[in-house]
Order: sequence, then C-alpha cells, then structure tokens
Amino acid sequence: MPPLSIDWAAVRAAAALRLALPRTPLGGRNGERLGSGTGSSLEFQDYRPYAPGDDLRHVDWAAYARSELLAVRLYREEVAPRIDLVVDTSRSMGVSEQKLRAYGELTGLLACACASTVADSRVITRSAAQPQPLNVPEDIERLVACDSSHSALEDTHLPFRRRSLRVVVSDFLFPHDADVLVSRLARDGAMLSLIQLTLQDEAEPNAEGPRRLVDVEGHGELDLVIDETAIHAYRARFSRLRLGLSRAARRTGARFAYVVAGTPIRDVAKTLAAAGVLEAA
Amino acid sequence: MIFTTPLGLLALLAIPAIVAIHLFRRRFPIRPVAGLFLWQMAQRTPEGGGRITRLPITTSLILECLAALALALILGGARLSPAGVSQHLVVLLDDSASMAAANAAGESARDRAARRVLGEIERLGPGGRITLVVSGERPSVLAGPAALALEARPALEKWKPAALHHSLALGLRLARELAGRTGKLMIVSDLAPGARGEGEIEGALWVSVGEPLANVGITAAERTLSPEAGRGVVSLTFGNYSDSTSRRHLRITAGSKEVGSKDIDVPAGVSSLTLPLSPGLPAVRIDLSGDALSRDNEVTLVEPRPRIVGVENRLRDGRGRQALIKALGAVASVTQANPGHLAFIEAAAIDTAGAPGVWKAAFGRPPAGWLGSGEPGDFIGPFVLEKRHPLLAGTTLGGVVWPGVMPLAPGTVRPLASAGDQVLIGVPAVSARSDPAYLFNIDLDRTNLVRAPDWPILISNLVEMRRQSLPGPERWNYQIGEWVRVRLGHEPKGPLRFRCGTVERTLPASRQLEFIAPSPGGLLQILEGDTLLFDIGVNFFDETESSLRKQSTADAGRFADVSGLTAESGPASDPLFWVLLAITTAAIVGNWWVLGAGIRSQPLRPLPPLHR
Repeated sequence: MPPLSIDWAAVRAAAALRLALPRTPLGGRNGERLGSGTGSSLEFQDYRPYAPGDDLRHVDWAAYARSELLAVRLYREEVAPRIDLVVDTSRSMGVSEQKLRAYGELTGLLACACASTVADSRVITRSAAQPQPLNVPEDIERLVACDSSHSALEDTHLPFRRRSLRVVVSDFLFPHDADVLVSRLARDGAMLSLIQLTLQDEAEPNAEGPRRLVDVEGHGELDLVIDETAIHAYRARFSRLRLGLSRAARRTGARFAYVVAGTPIRDVAKTLAAAGVLEAA
Repeated sequence: MIFTTPLGLLALLAIPAIVAIHLFRRRFPIRPVAGLFLWQMAQRTPEGGGRITRLPITTSLILECLAALALALILGGARLSPAGVSQHLVVLLDDSASMAAANAAGESARDRAARRVLGEIERLGPGGRITLVVSGERPSVLAGPAALALEARPALEKWKPAALHHSLALGLRLARELAGRTGKLMIVSDLAPGARGEGEIEGALWVSVGEPLANVGITAAERTLSPEAGRGVVSLTFGNYSDSTSRRHLRITAGSKEVGSKDIDVPAGVSSLTLPLSPGLPAVRIDLSGDALSRDNEVTLVEPRPRIVGVENRLRDGRGRQALIKALGAVASVTQANPGHLAFIEAAAIDTAGAPGVWKAAFGRPPAGWLGSGEPGDFIGPFVLEKRHPLLAGTTLGGVVWPGVMPLAPGTVRPLASAGDQVLIGVPAVSARSDPAYLFNIDLDRTNLVRAPDWPILISNLVEMRRQSLPGPERWNYQIGEWVRVRLGHEPKGPLRFRCGTVERTLPASRQLEFIAPSPGGLLQILEGDTLLFDIGVNFFDETESSLRKQSTADAGRFADVSGLTAESGPASDPLFWVLLAITTAAIVGNWWVLGAGIRSQPLRPLPPLHR
C-alpha cells in the first residue's frame, strides 16, 4: 500500500474553515474557548458564599450592601479544545486509487481545520497505538497508512480524551451496529462528527456480470454474478448502513456527513460545513 | 524403472482429473471490494456453472499434476533396481601364508586378491551383498553373510593371510552353503584350481592371483640340550625353492640381546645347519634375512627342560631284574630314585601302600586275595591285546611264551592283554582311586619275553606313560596348529591363560591343559594369574607354503546363473522412493504457498501514488 499522498494546494484552497465547536463546555488546557469549569475569563458564571481565603477582589460588594451576605463572583474558564481525529487505516480506504486520493484530501482538509481551530489535536489510528499529536497539517500524511486488516473503529476501546471533540473518518464498510458504535464513539465526548467516505461505485454499483469479489482486508472471497437483483439488494443494504449511521448520530447529537470519493475538495468542504462539522474560521 | 505394484499406477487418473478441474473451474474476474459483507446474499453463483475456456497453464496446475504423478509412481512401487533383490557374491579367500608373498615391487597376492574383490564389489553396485569366507582347517566368515559393501571393505582391508597349507575344500563347502542358489561364488587363491585339494569347482569363478617367486625359508627347527655335555644345539632345516644357491644372513637373539650371527649360503633344495647354543639361554629368536615370504624366515625356540623319570627296581634277583636293568638303560632321561616316579615290584606286594605319586609295575604271582580258582598255566598265544592302551603301543607279543599265569578272581583286574579267560596284563581295579598300577601276571624267570623285542617296548611305554604324567609341557616347541599339552604340578590357584604375541586366551582351570598352538606363533607364555609357568615356542613350519614356484595368475570357470538375493526390503531401500517423496512434498507445499500467496497478494495490489 503506498503512503498517503495529498494534493496540499487543492486542500489549502478549500481550507478556510475550522472545526465547529459545540455550545456545551469543552475540556482542555487554558486557551481561547470557554471551558466547562470555573476559571478566570470575563464571562460571569455564578455566585457562591464567601469562604476564608477567597480573593477579596472577587467579593461582590454591591450584593453585600444589599443583603449583608458575603458572596464571591465565579467566572467561566477558557480552554483550548481537545480534538481526537480518528482515521480509518484499514485497506478498504485504499481499495482504489480514487478512494485513496479522496481519503487523502479529506484527511488533509480536516487536518487544516484542526490547525485553524487552535486546538490540542491528536490522530488516533489504532486502539493499541499511542495517539500521535497533529502539530501541523502535513503530519497527517505520515500518520495515515491504509495497511491494516481491520478498522480501528471495530476495536471496543479507543484512546479518546474526556470532553474532546471527536472527528471520525471512515467508510464504515464493516459489519457493525450503528447505535452501539456511535454511542461508544460519543461517550464522554464534547462532540462527535462522523464522516463517511465511499466510492460512488460502493454506494451505487453497476451490473458487471460474474465477478470474484475479494475482500481487500482478507475477509474472504465470493463468486457472484452482479446483476440487477444483486445490485438492488446491495444498494438496499448499503442504504440501511448509511441511514443507520445517520440516525444513530442524530440520536446522540453527533454530526454525520457523507462524502463520495471523486467529489472536488471544495465541494467536500461545503458538505462538511453544511453538516455542521466545519464552520467558517 | 520397475514397478512392484503396477495397480498403483491407476492413481495416474488423478492427473486428467486435476486438468478437468482446472478446465471447468469458474474463473471469474477478480474485483476487490471494501465491504464483502454487503454482497453476501442468497443468490451467489450462476446456475449454469463455469465456462469451458482455454486451459490456463498455471503454476498451481503444474504443481498439482507433478504431485499426482509422483504419488502415482510411489503407489506403483517404482524402483530403479528390482525390489528386494540384490546381487550376492560369496568370495572364498585363500588364507594360506603364501598369499602374503610379495614380489620385488612389494605387491603380494593378497593385495591383488583384495583389489580384485573390491572391483567385484564395485561392479555389484551399492545394493550388492558380499560374503567373505576365509579358508583354513576351520573356515570362517570374514564379512557377512550377505554384508553390504560398506561392511565388507574394512573387513577385507584387515585380512592378512597367514595359515599353514590346507585344503580349500572345507572353505569351499562353507562358501557354497552360504551362496546357496542365490549367490555367485568366487574363489581367490594364488594357485591354480585343484592345487589345494578342493576338488570340483563347477559353477564358480576361480581367480588365481599368484606369481611364481624364489624363496628361502626355515622349514624345521629344533633346540636340544645335552645336560651331560653341558651344551645346547640349534638344528635348522632350510628349504631353498629356487634354482640357485642363495646367500642369507642368520641372526639369533635372546630377548634383545644378539647371541649369534652368521652369513650362510643356502643351496637349492633342502639343507640343514647346526649351531651351538649356550645352555640356559631363554627363548631365542632366529631370523633369516628377508625374501618373498617373511612368514618362514623366523622361528622362536625354547630350551627344552627334560622330565626325568625316577625308577625303583625292587624285583628280586634273577633274569627278570637283569632284563629290566638292561631295558631301562636304553630309555633316555631315566634315573634311579627312591622313592621314584615308577616302581617295578613283585606282584605279591602290589596291594601294599607305597609313597604317593609312585606308579607300580608288578611282576609275578598276584596277592592271594586276588587269585581265583584253578591251576596256574603257561600260554603261547594267541594273545588278545588292548591296542589302544599306550602301554601296549607297538607290541605284538608274537612268539612270546607267557608262563606262570595265575587265575584271578573276577573283577580284581581289568585286562589289557589276555589269553583265553586268563589275564596276562591288567590294571588292578583298586588302583582307580590311588596311583596307577599295572599287573604283569607272569613268571619272569621262565618267560622268553625278556629276550623278545616287545620287552624294551613295554618298559619304554611304561616309562613314557609316567613321564607324560609329570608336570610340564609335553614338548617345548610346537608348530602352529599342533595340540599343546601341558600338565601342571598343582591345582591351579589363579586364572590360567596363555599369551602369544597379540593372541591371549583364557584356559580352563585344570591340571591338564590342552589347546592349539595359535597363529601367528612366536613365544607362547602360560600364566597362572600373573605368574609365568611355562615358555613355549610356536613356529610356522610349512614346506608347501614356503615353496612359491607353482603360483599362477589366471581366471578359470565362470559364475553360475543365479537369481540374486531376495532381501526383505521396503520401498525406502530404493533412492527413487525418496526422490519421489521429496517431489511430492515440494509440489504440495509449493502449491499451497502459490495459492496462499495469490489470495494474499490480490487485495494488496499496489496502487499508484496520488498526484501532489
């Protein structure tokens, strides 16, 4: 499997976006975004009774004058969001040259968006592997190699960080229960975005006649006559798979976007923005 | 190629079956997919089956056909050589010492014989079976029966012919038995067929590898000692088997010390030489300078120590006593002694106790208790003699008048000579538990026996019988193959053995030792534990073997047509089996790898890089 090679000129041209952030509190170190805890931003959060040792500068003297009760003002913290970018490194993402190229562009686009978000970004490729920091967008080329016999999403545990923004890119073409999968990915996260990338031919195949279908991840072979009947059955199953992901995402408050390989990267960016995955920087 | 189970070749039908499978197998174009599970539905394959297309000659097809072919050949019992049948060659090797005679180039008949046999072994090939029989008075199997060439070669290398002249008949009989109807028989000798008394050799190849050579050898030797004169003598007999006088150097050594040396001219034919030798020297070795056969150039001689018999003459005065004195005077190594080893007494005193170890020869009227009923009588024959008894060896008693024969009670005496029912000479029955005694039932004063030739013979036989029972070897120098008889003077207290060069054997714990003088001879020592009892000389004396004039080189006869040796051997005995097995295994493993690699490689087809 060749390494991921990305047309960065095209990607950067379409990368004037950043990851959309949720309204819910985020976890992370001090940064520019409001966090879920109490901090030192200018945004008022709450009152609480004065306790010895509290900074007297935070005592609300006006309220004391009204009620003769000492109370201190609490402010929201500001954090840098944590982004966990989960990329599918299974062979299925490189089943064809077109899909591999589209996958490269999509991950490159997301890497640029992470950089624009000014966040603590990491790339997760396998459950057993240590997540790798994404310092610059170009790191994604080094980190993504489609040579695994299975997708990381099939693993029951992924090294997510708590209250992190999670962006998952895959074709999701492996047997799964969408509700269980999405729930697992969204657990303890601030926000989950699912991006499904497939070939047009994988979504809507054509009748080709007899073929020996060989699973690129080594999960068997199948001699099949691909006729209208087979096509119809396949499309129905594929639609159920995509619909299942979409519904499961909606139920958990996640965003779901479907991308067809071969779509220009600018249009892909628009699709992701429309789905709420990206927003204008 | 031979097939032991041709029906196994039916397995070759697997090859067209494999071809058919490859021909009709569905060969759909391969399409890699990312989610095969989405395609798994009820209607998977076309109902019409595969199409007949041109047979693709794939690696898998070749390997599968190869494995099927090799398996079919294994099942068919394919062999390069006939199954279980080996050529069997039985070789009778002439073990005579003359086979070791070397020519001027240093090559002996034994060398040529070994080379010829090795050539035959090579001709038989690796599956051939060899049996090597060594001739002799007691033929033995040197290698085999039916040994592999690997075993026969080292045995042949160790073979050193050294035996005395003998007939090959016994060896030939053993070789024929070992060959049976399946083996070829070859005799290797240095003489032409018939020269060794082997008789008919039909159905065998006789290979003569000899070469006529001149040779001088010691054919007889004796070492004597004259105690009275205080000197010893060595007498040598030479055989010069050439047409001219030959000059040789003679060297006599005792241990590491040279006690004599002399250049001698040995005339053609038989000649002798007598050399004085100091008495009291230990065993001496006499060497003759080298020639074709070294075996007959050396002798080891031990100084004899005569066993002197002490005799007592207790006969009353008269003709008998005088005649006995006269007869004893003619017997060597006899001395008067009291008590002696042998006592001549009156028969009336035969049952009286004497000193232990004294044999009795009693003449005259037996004791009254031994007498039977009847009157004494005189006899003139015919006499019945126990010829096998050493006492009567060489006697006839012809013309002897045997007077004064007293009738004896039955059972008192075992007769050695008798006339009618009267015992003339006998062994008293009571003497079986004591020292031997002999009763001469005769009146010496009236008989003419004392003037007959049989008288000194009888006396001499008596003395020699007693001498034989004295401790010590019967003789002090022997020829190889002779029976050595040694009598010990006491019951053995430790393990008995003899040592002769490299030969060492244990002897039975007995006072009377008997064994065959071993080859190759030399100084033989009899030991009791670590104590040396006797030194004995053992030598090779063989005029026939020393003569190398009749040796010849030729082949005679031919091998018989035989079926070969049928051996119980499985298919593993043939190298082709292992080759086929290796091919089968390699083809199966290769096919598995090819198929596995094909499946593995298809999903991993390299994709071109994306454009930057």
